[in-house]
Amino acid sequence: MTWTLLDRCCDRCTHSVENPCKDYVECRLNGPLCHEDERCRELRRRRLEELAYGEKGAKIKVPMASCTLAMGSEAVYNAVLEAVEKLGVEATVTISGCYGMDFIDPWVEFSAKGMPTAIYARVRPADVPKLIESYFIKRDVSGAFALKERTGGALGEEKVPLLSELDFWRKQYKWVSRNCGVVNPESLEEYVASGGYRGLSKALKVGPERVIDEIQKSGLRGRGGAGFPTGLKWKLARQQPATPKYVIANADEGDPGAFMNRLLAESDPFRIVEGLTIAGYAVGASQGFIFVRAEKPMMAKRLRRAVEEARKYGLLGRNILGSGFDFDIEVILSAGAFVCGEETAMIAAIEGKRAWPRQRPPYPAEKGLWGKPTIVNNVETLAHAATIMAEGAEKFAAVGTERTKGTKMFCVTGNVKRVGAYEVPIGVSVRYLVEELAGGPPDGSKIKAVQIGGPSGGCIPAALLDLPIDYETLQGAGAIMGSGGIVVMTEDTCMVDAAKFFLTFTSAESCGKCVPCRVGLRTMWNILDKITRGEGTEEDLHTLRQMAETVRSFSLCALGGTAPNPVLSTLRHFVDEYMAHIRDKVCPAMVCRALIAYRIDEERCIACGQCAMNCPVSAISRVESGKYRIDKEKCISCGICFAVCPVKVITKVPRGSLGGGHA
Amino acid sequence: MPKVKIDGRVVEVEPGTTVLAAAEKAGVRIPRLCVVPGLYEGSSCRVCLVKTPAGRLFPACNYRVYRDEEFVATSPDLWEMRRVNFELLLAFHRIECWQCERKGACSLVSLAKELGVEGIPVCSECPLPPSECLLRRGILCLGMITLAGCEAECVAGGGECWGCRGPITRADVLERAFKRYSELGFDVTSVVSKAEIFWNSLDSFGVVKSVAGRASGGGRG
Repeated sequence: MTWTLLDRCCDRCTHSVENPCKDYVECRLNGPLCHEDERCRELRRRRLEELAYGEKGAKIKVPMASCTLAMGSEAVYNAVLEAVEKLGVEATVTISGCYGMDFIDPWVEFSAKGMPTAIYARVRPADVPKLIESYFIKRDVSGAFALKERTGGALGEEKVPLLSELDFWRKQYKWVSRNCGVVNPESLEEYVASGGYRGLSKALKVGPERVIDEIQKSGLRGRGGAGFPTGLKWKLARQQPATPKYVIANADEGDPGAFMNRLLAESDPFRIVEGLTIAGYAVGASQGFIFVRAEKPMMAKRLRRAVEEARKYGLLGRNILGSGFDFDIEVILSAGAFVCGEETAMIAAIEGKRAWPRQRPPYPAEKGLWGKPTIVNNVETLAHAATIMAEGAEKFAAVGTERTKGTKMFCVTGNVKRVGAYEVPIGVSVRYLVEELAGGPPDGSKIKAVQIGGPSGGCIPAALLDLPIDYETLQGAGAIMGSGGIVVMTEDTCMVDAAKFFLTFTSAESCGKCVPCRVGLRTMWNILDKITRGEGTEEDLHTLRQMAETVRSFSLCALGGTAPNPVLSTLRHFVDEYMAHIRDKVCPAMVCRALIAYRIDEERCIACGQCAMNCPVSAISRVESGKYRIDKEKCISCGICFAVCPVKVITKVPRGSLGGGHA
Repeated sequence: MPKVKIDGRVVEVEPGTTVLAAAEKAGVRIPRLCVVPGLYEGSSCRVCLVKTPAGRLFPACNYRVYRDEEFVATSPDLWEMRRVNFELLLAFHRIECWQCERKGACSLVSLAKELGVEGIPVCSECPLPPSECLLRRGILCLGMITLAGCEAECVAGGGECWGCRGPITRADVLERAFKRYSELGFDVTSVVSKAEIFWNSLDSFGVVKSVAGRASGGGRG
């Protein structure tokens, strides 16, 4: 068996899980600390090199995270194994997390001694033998997407850009996501080799008060959306006289369009485990929970594995690193309700009760899990805490704004060229994220609006794209930073329809405990539905606004309290579009089915009959000229003909413009 | 002991007392619905929300007082939002008090009156047992489509309702009422012509007539 960094280097090392050494973590990289021996030092150096280039001097890395798996990285992994054997290439094949650049999925990364590390984008299994041959045998990197460094040891290096030269990489600030895509998420050894667990080791040496001081000094605020100062939360829980205390990591990420927590937990799960251990130490807890969304099984699997690994090496359990601190973590699967992300509902779910939120106060820091002081932190917050303890508060606070320090991960989805997760300093503009990092709309069309903060957030119009992203500024514009999901919408999105989409989600996810959320959201949805059918009145807009205000201020928890935001913000910035639906019975973006019709341009029709064949209601028939025509009485505006027409001669027109009974 | 100020009235209470209990002690009426002390912790119906000077809202039934605090329980905006919220609650409630065992003698109906929410028929206040219903005896009574408001003494005294308090304007309640009239063997047009006596000059009568039109049209088809 190979010696790993986590093992003892020789008999003089006294560390064991039962009798842990307080310098265990530091000793892994800079050791040996308790004795001097060049051989022990060399052992570590050699192992670190092996981790970088594989045991055979060459390494192939295939990402295994939900996002890359969805794009077929498992088939690529198998193709790699097969090709390596067939070509006789001496390379270690390993897995990694995801870089957050979902537009290059599935990617592979090749590295070998003396050669630049190369990333290949959008790899198909059939390409794999060719790629391996050119890199490892011909030493040619010209087909790569990007290089990590230049060594001059390979052909075609000058043709390929460096990753650090590419805008979407260069303009990020990789702080908490530094390991994502870099390390093997299932290997504690690689996490420790990348500097992991230094934060916990330091925390255990300075004591809980100094840990809280450090977190307070960093200015870290909760990354789950509400932005409560993390250090203060820990301090309040620490001051509670009741025992035992509990800490919970909130990994119940459920917003449509947000996946930064999933990405982090799948690519760097140990950072979260470390962060939770530090939180437990700071508040004086001995039991932690990670509450994971059941619909994200890989996230749960990775976190479970990380907990087991940490336990195996004494980084969880009794007397952690010889400090006398006992702590363990249990990973709990949620039942998959969006409301479980709300802390009091999450606590009820962990207790085995129905996941209903309850009225605060008392806050969980005072009375939480089983009535005991409990803190609930988002996983990104905890990962930040671990990184802050390792790197120091000053480094963290060096970026960000006056009121909010540090970085935040955002997921940019929708109509953009480069869908992905990006980490940037808080305070950069929305435009920076959407245009400079994500590249703006792919076909050069114009951005109409950006939905920030998922279904609890709001839409801001293109005119406000230069707003800096932080908790307070966005609130002023009717949106929230939320957990960090950003959906980019172009001119072909109907804002009324978009508001309806988000309400469809929140009204379905409402737990039903309180009246305004349960009934109010449903009623608001009904009004929006009426408007998109062209049956709305101006009176409805008034009712909608009044109802939104009531739901927002009267709801029990944050789900209802924020759910009207998409409606309120679109009413504020796009009221013209509502009026077009109501007064002119027109959907300007040509989305709302009841308000549009389809027409075939008979001049350009090639009479292929595709549209008629696919029409579900047989509304398309052949006319004398041999071309096709849509019967507007029968047409249900499903849009299938529009999608299948090979020459794109079917156009959307306002239904009213056709005359007849539909005006 | 903490001093609680509610709508300007100050009371001293034991620490841990709910705002609702404190308000009762102070003689301030706060509407409530879902809380049942000892059985249900409340905070669901959101009818009893009170406001702090900072503008934050808390349910009076659930918020406990440990230090001196001040609350507003009665203000126009609070009352308005309570009303909208209560209308939402009614929106999915089948208001068929004339078929309900409790005959409207329930906290929902009394709260509707308190908050001035319309949509509750006069019948809901009828103190007579269901078997005594005039409609079942073949007498055309407008109680099912007439707004609550009076103590319905005429009905209590055995006379039928002529609709002097004005019509209900909620289409769903009217639809169910007309269906019930038909089931009991009353012609829709006869109901409308009786209603004309008090309602002919009212704008809201239009709603009744349009629903009645649909009901009789649907009946024939």
